[in-house]
Amino acid sequence: MSPRCHPSLYWNTHSCPTPSGLSPEKTEPLTVPRGASPCHIPTSRLQGGWHLGPRSILVALLGCHCNSTRSPASAALSTLTWCRHDDLKEMLDSNKDSLKLEAMKRIVAMIARGKNASDLFPAVVKNVACKNIEVKKLVYVYLVRYAEEQQDLALLSISTFQRGLKDPNQLIRASALRVLSSIRVPIIVPIMMLAIKEAASDMSPYVRKTAAHAIPKLYSLDSDQKDQLIEVIEKLLADKTTLVAGSVVMAFEEVCPERIDLIHKNYRKLCNLLIDVEEWGQVVIINMLTRYARTQFLSPNQNESLLEESAEKAFYGSEEEDTKDAKAEAASLAKRKPYVMDPDHRLLLRNTKPLLQSRNAAVVMAVAQLYFHLAPKAEVGVIAKALVRLLRSHSEVQYVVLQNVATMSIKRRGMFEPYLKSFYIRSTDPTQIKILKLEVLTNLANETNISTILREFQTYIRSMDKDFVAATIQAIGRCATNIGKVRDTCLNGLVQLLSNRDELVVAESVVVIKKLLQMQPAQHSEIIKHMAKLTDNIQVPMARASILWLIGEYCEHVPKIAPDVLRKMAKSFTNEEDIVKLQVINLAAKLYLTNSKQSKLLTQYVLNLAKYDQNYDIRDRARFIRQLIVPTEKSGALNKYAKKLFLAQKPAPILESSFKDRDHFQLGSLSHLLNAKAVGYQELPDWPDEAPDPSVRNVEVRGTPRCTWDILRLGHLAGVLGELQKVPHIPSLSDSEESGSSSSSGTSSSSSEEEDEEEEEEGSGEQSEEKEGEEEEEKRKKRKEKGGLRKASPGSAGR
Amino acid sequence: MISQLFILSSKGDRLVYRNFRGDGGDDVTDAFYRAVTSLPGDRAPVFMAREGRHFVHVRHGGLYVGATTTADTSPFVLVEFLNRLVTLLREHCGTLSEKSVSVNVALVHELLGEMVDFGYIQTTATEVLRSATHGEPETTKAFSLLDLRSVGLFGAETQQSKVAPGSVTNRPVLPPRGEQGGRSEVFVDVVERLTVVIAANGTPLNVDVQGEIRLKSFVPGGCELRMGLTEELSVGTEEQRGYGRLPLAAVAFHSSVDLEEFEQERVLRVTPGPGEELSSPEQTAELQGGGRCLRWAIPRCQGGAQLGAVFRVQLPPTPPLGLGPAALTFELPALTVSGLRLRWLRLSAPPGAPPGPPQRWVRHLTHSDSYVVRL
Repeated sequence: MSPRCHPSLYWNTHSCPTPSGLSPEKTEPLTVPRGASPCHIPTSRLQGGWHLGPRSILVALLGCHCNSTRSPASAALSTLTWCRHDDLKEMLDSNKDSLKLEAMKRIVAMIARGKNASDLFPAVVKNVACKNIEVKKLVYVYLVRYAEEQQDLALLSISTFQRGLKDPNQLIRASALRVLSSIRVPIIVPIMMLAIKEAASDMSPYVRKTAAHAIPKLYSLDSDQKDQLIEVIEKLLADKTTLVAGSVVMAFEEVCPERIDLIHKNYRKLCNLLIDVEEWGQVVIINMLTRYARTQFLSPNQNESLLEESAEKAFYGSEEEDTKDAKAEAASLAKRKPYVMDPDHRLLLRNTKPLLQSRNAAVVMAVAQLYFHLAPKAEVGVIAKALVRLLRSHSEVQYVVLQNVATMSIKRRGMFEPYLKSFYIRSTDPTQIKILKLEVLTNLANETNISTILREFQTYIRSMDKDFVAATIQAIGRCATNIGKVRDTCLNGLVQLLSNRDELVVAESVVVIKKLLQMQPAQHSEIIKHMAKLTDNIQVPMARASILWLIGEYCEHVPKIAPDVLRKMAKSFTNEEDIVKLQVINLAAKLYLTNSKQSKLLTQYVLNLAKYDQNYDIRDRARFIRQLIVPTEKSGALNKYAKKLFLAQKPAPILESSFKDRDHFQLGSLSHLLNAKAVGYQELPDWPDEAPDPSVRNVEVRGTPRCTWDILRLGHLAGVLGELQKVPHIPSLSDSEESGSSSSSGTSSSSSEEEDEEEEEEGSGEQSEEKEGEEEEEKRKKRKEKGGLRKASPGSAGR
Repeated sequence: MISQLFILSSKGDRLVYRNFRGDGGDDVTDAFYRAVTSLPGDRAPVFMAREGRHFVHVRHGGLYVGATTTADTSPFVLVEFLNRLVTLLREHCGTLSEKSVSVNVALVHELLGEMVDFGYIQTTATEVLRSATHGEPETTKAFSLLDLRSVGLFGAETQQSKVAPGSVTNRPVLPPRGEQGGRSEVFVDVVERLTVVIAANGTPLNVDVQGEIRLKSFVPGGCELRMGLTEELSVGTEEQRGYGRLPLAAVAFHSSVDLEEFEQERVLRVTPGPGEELSSPEQTAELQGGGRCLRWAIPRCQGGAQLGAVFRVQLPPTPPLGLGPAALTFELPALTVSGLRLRWLRLSAPPGAPPGPPQRWVRHLTHSDSYVVRL
């Protein structure tokens, strides 16, 4: 791509300095009539306009600058947009691959920037049969992008792909199928269907995998094909290679997730293959199996659910609850009421466990949610360590992990208690993560660790990050409500914060203190008095409103101060925020009812002010309250009960986690993260009451056992590996491996494109094996990774 | 599954845009950029919902790398994929910057085509992609002052913008075709990050060391690389944790690492695929903080020496709540706090490698990720 295409670069070449004092926003807006020739615009104007002006015009201008000619000077003169791509067309028509490549690169760059390149369609499509792979691939990119818009012309390319589908080289077959299925032209649906069916029984697993990927594409193009596609899915599900397994489950999830019966026969195979499947495929399979298990097995915790309430506390309450104890407990429970886990259920749990070591966070989380939703309570603990490990990953991953940990820590507090320190906040954490960690710490707080946690919180309050400080104060409030023992300590700490210099800290404390005081107001009239004094200083509306409410509610505890506060507030009434005004009216009403002698006139005054307020809520409230509390001859029966209405005993607020109800979404799902149902979310079914027939999963064994097959394949491996290195265009990929291979003749370092092409075709007979070899090699690598420190598999000795 | 994938410059210009599933218009990137910029500071949440689709993005090198989805896709898959994509782009384009991406648009598209099919992730394995892509990377000018800001140490968000990237490593891992070799070099970094909280009375509350060994290889062709680690290493509880031993809580290795000799001799064998990142080896230790900061630069410190400094801070008579914990940021070159070291590094030269022994660069480094002393 020529660098001139880049707008910023282009402008830099003008290097026309804008006066520094004149910011672009202040320059005259670009006032160029649409039809005007761009050369009439002074460049300096354009520069200013680049930042603010009508972007569409500029983009159009730039488009013609960039693409018409090579020199920017002459570009400015060209105004004929319809012939702007002439040079590209010329290049595409030439018979030099390098020119074609250059043209295609520029076109792809245009697409990437969102510029319209659709008028080049005929010129580009001609090159779909180009021999040069690099050109060909870029043509594919273009074709997939524009085929939908130019359906008729796109059909011209179909025959090339149909030919490609018959190619002896599996790579070419696969790529033909991939592109063919990506062309969103309804008329070729039958062709696609045929191609997919054929590819599904291809001898190369790589082609079969591509066929699996093509299924959802066809389905989205024409959902009438569903039944036929399900047949293909059924066939591919029975495939025994790891390469296909992940892809076909993806197709299954998109096309027919409800056909859970298709999984029965393949369940055990999928469980066993899982560890060798490509990591992105693992995620999809694990999620699907989670759903499957929920419909086919019984809840492993059904016995405990009865005892849950009582057991929960004893179970996780103590500090260092050992998993052994937990297991013993579970075992004893199991004895009392026999529940035997289905061996298939056990198989799934056993085979997914090693994946907790995966390097891919998505896999770890998929297994974690599987354990959380499927494993017996005593076994769920194993995922805690893996999740804590993810906390050392990128901050985005941390963010998602903490969301899930927050939910889990409500239900299974004991699980994360040993890792309490991992959730301590680091000075370098971003605010979002700090707040999530606070959430987790609060959830983990219990009587034994609360003192440690409160000490942590105390240091967090000094942080410079105000949002975080506010969240910490709320967290303290939640700890205080949950753990009665420390309520007074927390309250005292919060009262101390009231003398903090920072108004936000004070305001947040007031709000939290208000909630805490509601639990036991009688003992705390001192604090209420202290807070009454604060009305002179605190300006944050929410805090003022909270104080007023508190004084009104407990005016009997502070009989001398309350009327005085009302007097002050009446004075400043007109300048208050709406939320404060409402509370002033409340306070007045309550005082009127309890202490009408002192506050009658004040109340009248406040109500009069409110009557003419600009906000209708306040006017409404004033009218309503006046009718209710001021006795007139017309006033109804309610008047008698006014005091009961206003000064009823109110239930104390429950401060609870915002993650409390998140667990009805499947963990690790987008819906859980958003706390709202995302499109396409599949509800995790409840455990069935009766176990469905387990025999549906039985498969009759036939043919050679898998392991033998493996060994046979490994025998070929040395030769196959050598073949693998023959992939064109990447010379010297791994020459050392090649030395062992017999057929290294064609690994030239800088052969021309055509030669490479030929080579590929020559070697295509063996290519299907190659691919399998590659897969095999991949498998071995995976195993090594999974095994951690386990010795490498024997295959590698051959290298 | 991914509906659209895009890379935007910091100004919101579209560098790469790919619509995988043909749903949604072309204006999603604008919607995204508006949403991101309307939020103050760096507060943009990783996930955002706009106009019926969900956006997820990561920021690297001043670029927004983002994806959209309209279905309930595992958020981990999205985030992990974007991070992998960033790593892969670094490997293929050398650096990740506005310029390197826009110069290599065709290559990026080719890569994306291999990685994602109809929104489903097919593979992110470097080896597979390497054999499937044919485009050549075009290098951008290796080093510019503007890029300095964006290049952190190993992608970590260091506060020290002084860490100049060694321009030697800012090049694509794949050598341009036809140009065999160049210098063959191997860079190995042993980096440890400290997360330490020290209580006001001096007792450590939480000490956590996270280390990694990073390898970036510019040796053309596959050669075997063996490195010997400190022999005292013991992993987990497999051996007794005696004095002088170096216990590690957990280890994880890249899939290309051959662990055959690890258990006995603490030797890792790698057939390096192209590796990660590196920055320049010259550092000074220094002490610095945020807004209210105190800086102590130590130009050179001899082994075994102990340096002390007393800082007296005069505070205005205000409540003590204003004085927060002290956060230390520092880097110690040529030292790992755990004691893990690379004993030796051997390369078996591949056939057809350029003459002369490959250059080997080894660095040890300790970086304070979060080092907090409570006051």
